Amino acid sequence: MEPEKIIEIGLKELKKLGAEQFELELNLAEKQEMNVHSGELKLFRTTVNNSLRISVLQEQKRGTIAVNKLDDDIIRQACREALEMARSSKPDEANAIAPRQPAATFTRGVLQPDADAMYTGLAGFVRDVKERFPRIILEEVIHDHTRNRSYFVNSNQVDYLTDRGFYTFVLVFTAREGKHTSSFNYTDLTTQSLEGKFLDRGSFSTLLAQSSEQIATRRLADKFVGDIIITPDCLGSFIGSITSYLRDMPLITGTSIYRDKLNQSVAVPGFTLRSEPLSNELEDGYFVTGDGFRAQDNVIIEEGILKSHLLTLYGANKTGRPRAANYGGNYIVDPGGKSLEDIIASTEKGILLSRFSGGNPSENGDFSGVAKNSYYIENGRIQYPVSELMVAGNLAAMLLAITDISRERINFGTHLFPWIKCANIHISG
Amino acid sequence: MHLQELKSYAEKFREYTELRVQENRALRLTLINGNVVGNVRTSQSGVAARVFKQGKWGFACHPDVNNSTIGQVIDRATANADFLGSKENLPTVTLPGRPGEIIRDHVYANPRLTQKELIEFLREVDDHIIGKYPDLKSRNVTLSTLEMEKTLLTTDGSAAFTLVPRALVSTVMSLEKDGKPVELYEVYGGFGFFEDNFRQPDELYAKLEEQYRHLKNKSTGIYPEAGEHDCILGPDLAGILSHEAIGHTVEADIVLGGSIAADHLNQLVATPALTMIDFAHTALGRTCPVPVYMDDEGIIAEDAVLIKEGILKTFMNNRETAAHYGVRPTGNARAYAFSDEPLIRMRNTAILPGDDKLADMIASIDKGYYLMKASNGEADSTSEFMFGVVQGYEIEKGRLERAILDTTISGVAFDMLKTISMISDDMVWGCSGMCGKKQVIPVGMGGPAVKCRIRIGGK
Repeated sequence: MEPEKIIEIGLKELKKLGAEQFELELNLAEKQEMNVHSGELKLFRTTVNNSLRISVLQEQKRGTIAVNKLDDDIIRQACREALEMARSSKPDEANAIAPRQPAATFTRGVLQPDADAMYTGLAGFVRDVKERFPRIILEEVIHDHTRNRSYFVNSNQVDYLTDRGFYTFVLVFTAREGKHTSSFNYTDLTTQSLEGKFLDRGSFSTLLAQSSEQIATRRLADKFVGDIIITPDCLGSFIGSITSYLRDMPLITGTSIYRDKLNQSVAVPGFTLRSEPLSNELEDGYFVTGDGFRAQDNVIIEEGILKSHLLTLYGANKTGRPRAANYGGNYIVDPGGKSLEDIIASTEKGILLSRFSGGNPSENGDFSGVAKNSYYIENGRIQYPVSELMVAGNLAAMLLAITDISRERINFGTHLFPWIKCANIHISG
Repeated sequence: MHLQELKSYAEKFREYTELRVQENRALRLTLINGNVVGNVRTSQSGVAARVFKQGKWGFACHPDVNNSTIGQVIDRATANADFLGSKENLPTVTLPGRPGEIIRDHVYANPRLTQKELIEFLREVDDHIIGKYPDLKSRNVTLSTLEMEKTLLTTDGSAAFTLVPRALVSTVMSLEKDGKPVELYEVYGGFGFFEDNFRQPDELYAKLEEQYRHLKNKSTGIYPEAGEHDCILGPDLAGILSHEAIGHTVEADIVLGGSIAADHLNQLVATPALTMIDFAHTALGRTCPVPVYMDDEGIIAEDAVLIKEGILKTFMNNRETAAHYGVRPTGNARAYAFSDEPLIRMRNTAILPGDDKLADMIASIDKGYYLMKASNGEADSTSEFMFGVVQGYEIEKGRLERAILDTTISGVAFDMLKTISMISDDMVWGCSGMCGKKQVIPVGMGGPAVKCRIRIGGK
């Protein structure tokens, strides 16, 4: 059945049933995916899947059904069940749907995959890694192309169509020689182009080279307060944790450490964090938020000042605070003025933190975990790769203790991050 | 789809083929501070085929399940295997099998509640929490259910219909102390439908009281001292230890990917008092949290004894890695959704109980920590592991003293397991295990309490 027909059936049925307000979100996804297991190209997957989400507001009560079968009877049944679920729920005056906006169609990326080019690029990557990094075992490489066609309509006549297609390349690897094994590491890249060698893109070759020498690590039998230089690959998990405090639930419950910090200083003046799903600097993004608004680029922290939470329409209504211009993701951290080399040279005692394996940060921002694939720095020089080393700090305090941001950045296609140096981190071996 | 109907498609198999029809049905109801902020039902279903030819795998799936799409996914999966085979020839591998036929339905033993009744159940729990504990800053009561229904057919004659349901109620309580939030969660339920696990809201009240008591203690808690300490890992921590620190390290795909476990087979990796098993479906006479009777490669599932009396005995395998290592597969290949291929996964992983009493174990520690509840965990190819700890107490001169704030523990499994000096004589399964690899999947993990030396992070 054509997507437009599916939407039409749903809209008509919901109106017929007397639903007061409703949203329909239809997603049609097709994926071509090639997989390397233990260094061998082993699996080729073709997947087709759908999702139809029907959400009904009745007397300010919400019910939602999501199905992936799209025949006439199932769509009508899903409409009835969504309405019944709404009726069974409890009213909440914060429940709402997006207001009317001009209809729009968005297209981005590569819509038709080239399986032969995917194979050639992936097989070439495996060959290149074997030649240049003989200690590396490619535990898993997933190279895929996904095309998503998404329709978002609601009873306020919101009507958006998005058609996107991207290649992604996810790499998990370990180095091994004899009985010596490095920690595993991983990285990824999203791209619209299969031109050139994957090995030359993102942080692939840097991380593979680091792991190759991390088969021989040393324990740092020391306990001190020092600096960490967070690499772009590692920064993503910290940014993810920090932005989680800006979302609906911690702000609604009042437990967010940033609940009263809008337009206040939360980081050093040199730190700017953007969420830019429309950015031309990135290869992937989105055009419509999960609650049916046209997405805009957003500055979350500007020169150290918190400029935006990441509230949805519901969260905004519930807290009385502004709705965010988008729903986060596609993060960009502005570059600083120093080279990475100079940042390392200016570090008296600390860690180059390449991967952080930690417990979920506390509600108060405290974090602790193991420094993986990381190096000890002393007297301005990288000394040796470390193992069994723990780092601890507080996320909010860490943003206020940034001392350097590199001018170099890594573009992962979905994010763009520099190296960031922070002081006052507890380090114990 | 009925198993007999699926069997009629066997004639379309040209190579080694797995054909699976699956539906995952889920419900999530969330009350935050009394407001219903989530009220969502989902159903994801479809048909998938996986084909093995000349050392290469092809996979395809489609959400529609009918004669046409079933033929299409078999053809597409075969073409995908051919595509890879046309680029590179690998040696032909004969996949080992343990074929059979399994029918494991799960029937409703109790009347099913309506959506409205389910919301009322949660509402009653929430009303009790706020009525009894008015100083809470916030509370969250969530019901999540998942029913995984699979029908499977393989070239070598395996056939199965299984339905595995799980129903969980989680409660999160939060207090504010000196302007800073302190939180603690608890999860109840497990294998079965909601109605199998929960009858009346007041059955949870004693457990909620315990949760609140620990939260109050935590609100005046201290940071643990960073460094290596004598610790008791409660069953929740012992479960995640089994899963993360050892289980992942001995999954055969991880071993082939470089895990240090490759060098430790048939070697002493733990105290001789320790035996650890990945149970298929039944442990110590009781059904496990995630019973697996046949895996998604059509292997009749049996227990995998990973460590026996301190010796690492085996890895967990799928058909292909079992062929590689020349061992018998034990049914560890599982897929989460119809659109997923089977991966090597744990099922129900646990250390077997010992002879010690928990009270004696605590009494034996002069200075250390009793660590009770984990948040998350991660393993490494080096067998180094990390768990977040969200509930625990310091031990001073054999007694539990102040609660501790959130921290992280870590160690190298094959070193740390040798420091285990006491194992309690009881065993508790966690009810809500969810493992992330390429896909997520429900798992069981549990065990007794263990006394060990372990490193604590912090200030």
